[in-house]
Order: sequence, then structure tokens, then C-alpha cells
Amino acid sequence: MNFKVTDVEQFQAQKQFIDTAIVPLLQLDFAEQGMKQSSSAGEYLMSLTNFIEQQFKGRIMLLPPFSYTVNTKSETLPTTIEQELKDAGFKSIIFVTCDHSWTEFKEFLNIIWLPPIPLESMDKSVKQRILEDQLKQVIPNLTNIWV
Amino acid sequence: MSKNRVTRRQFLTYTITGVGGFMAAGMLMPMVRFAIDPILQTKEEGDFVQTSQKAAEITEVPVKVDFSYEQTDGWYKSEVADAAWVYREGDQIVAISPVCKHLGCTVNWASDPTHPDQFFCACHAGRYEKSGVNVKGTPPLGPLDMFEVAENDGFLMLGKKIANTHSN
Repeated sequence: MNFKVTDVEQFQAQKQFIDTAIVPLLQLDFAEQGMKQSSSAGEYLMSLTNFIEQQFKGRIMLLPPFSYTVNTKSETLPTTIEQELKDAGFKSIIFVTCDHSWTEFKEFLNIIWLPPIPLESMDKSVKQRILEDQLKQVIPNLTNIWV
Repeated sequence: MSKNRVTRRQFLTYTITGVGGFMAAGMLMPMVRFAIDPILQTKEEGDFVQTSQKAAEITEVPVKVDFSYEQTDGWYKSEVADAAWVYREGDQIVAISPVCKHLGCTVNWASDPTHPDQFFCACHAGRYEKSGVNVKGTPPLGPLDMFEVAENDGFLMLGKKIANTHSN
């Protein structure tokens, strides 16, 4: 499910099935050297989370990405979001990010960190294959959280 | 000069009829074109999409065939990626849509080790027979959709989605 009206209606009707929220955490970097890299990471993160949503549509709701800059980044962001989503009825909340600094929260939050892969230079079929490979790496994380 | 030379009156009558005829045609032609437009419109829905799967290489074991088509949403055109599970049944090719009938996840062939001959949906453990018919007692309430199948130059082509023709 995506965060749009038709899907949200379905979520509210079927809360016992759609019990997982995916929250992409995206760092925006506007520095001369970092901007291109950060946009590439964002593109990758969005393609991958959309692909995960497509595969597990009936159990997952993909939220719009939470973006922050170096200065607006807040350490309490994920814990606050998690609490609010739990109150809304989600059982598991999974954060997907390319920003390595979140891995230190791994102990008490479900954080999946992935090194960004530059998809922009790739052919469509190669891109599809890479996303499938990446998905295969994410699936064990998901099933671990679900059992 | 010949005997039946054209009089001024005749000449004017012919000219006006001719020019008037052209003008009337110029007005009527677009009207007629508009009126019969629905017939001339090419039907986009139901067109077959070419895949890269060779029809001869399809076996009785379902394989995943990816394909994509263009979708127009208002003025925004986008390329939509879709997939089908394709296998041979007798001399026919069957293409099953991977979209779970429960809540729309993507099902996979034999991804559940305890049921290697079924389609499996990892979200809520929904299962389907190879024919796409849902296994009773699992969450899905209906069979998986199928695609219309055709062949072109030895390659598989997939058409629009149809209801599953296998009966329970």
C-alpha cells in the first residue's frame, strides 16, 4: 500500500493484515560534492522501497520518505515516528535508509541500512535485476521481523 | 471557334458550382470525420505486448516473464513493469498474473519449501495451485487472473487480463 487515499481506506478496513509500515529515511546533502551522491542515493532508495511495496503490497504500507538535511537531522526522529505509527495500529515499523549513521539505532529499532547503488547509469533490465537482488537481501530481514 | 462556345452565363454557373462544391466539401468533410471518429480510433486496450521469452523454451515449470507497457495517466506517460508466470500445459501456454487476490501482493512459484508445487504469497501465506486456483483455507478468496496469450516470431506475447478459466 502507498500513502494515498484508496490504499489508506483499505488499510483502515484491513488493519489485521496490513500491519507493517516502511519508512524511508533520506538525507539531503546540498554541498557541492555531496549533492549528486545524495540524489543518487535518494533515487535508489525510492526505487527499492517502491519495489518492496509492489512485492508485499498486502502487508506493507510505504510512507513518503522522511527527508532531512545535515542541520535538520534529529536523533529522536525515528523513535517518535515509530511511536506514532504504533499508536495508529501498525505492529512493525521498518526504517530503510542509505544513511549509515542510523545503524547505531539498530538495537531498538528495525533499521535496514543499504549501501546506495547508482541506478541512474544503468540499463532498464540491469536495473530490474539489481533491484531483485537487493530485494532478496531485504526479504530475510522482513521475515525475521514478521515471525 | 467552335459552335458550342461557352457563354458567359454558363461559365459563371460552372465556376460557382465548382467553387461552391469545394467549399461545401471543405465544411462537411471534417464534420463527417468527427462523426465517424469512434470507429476509426485504434483500440489501445487489448493490444498484445511482446515479451523476450521464446515460446519454444517454455516448459511445464512456471517461469517468471517480465514485460512492460506504456500507461497514460492524464498527460503523464509512464512505463509500467509487469510480470507473468508462464508454463506449458499440453500444447497450450498458460500465463498467470502474479497479483495475489487477497490484497495485491506478488506471488512466487514454489517459494514455500513445504509446498513446492504451488504459488505462494509471502505476506499472509496465501497459496494457489499451479492452475492459479486458490487453496481453500488460505486468505485468498479467488483464483489468480490469467493473461491472453499469443505468439509472434517464436516469441511469447501477452494480452489483457482475463478471469481464470480453470475451474475449482
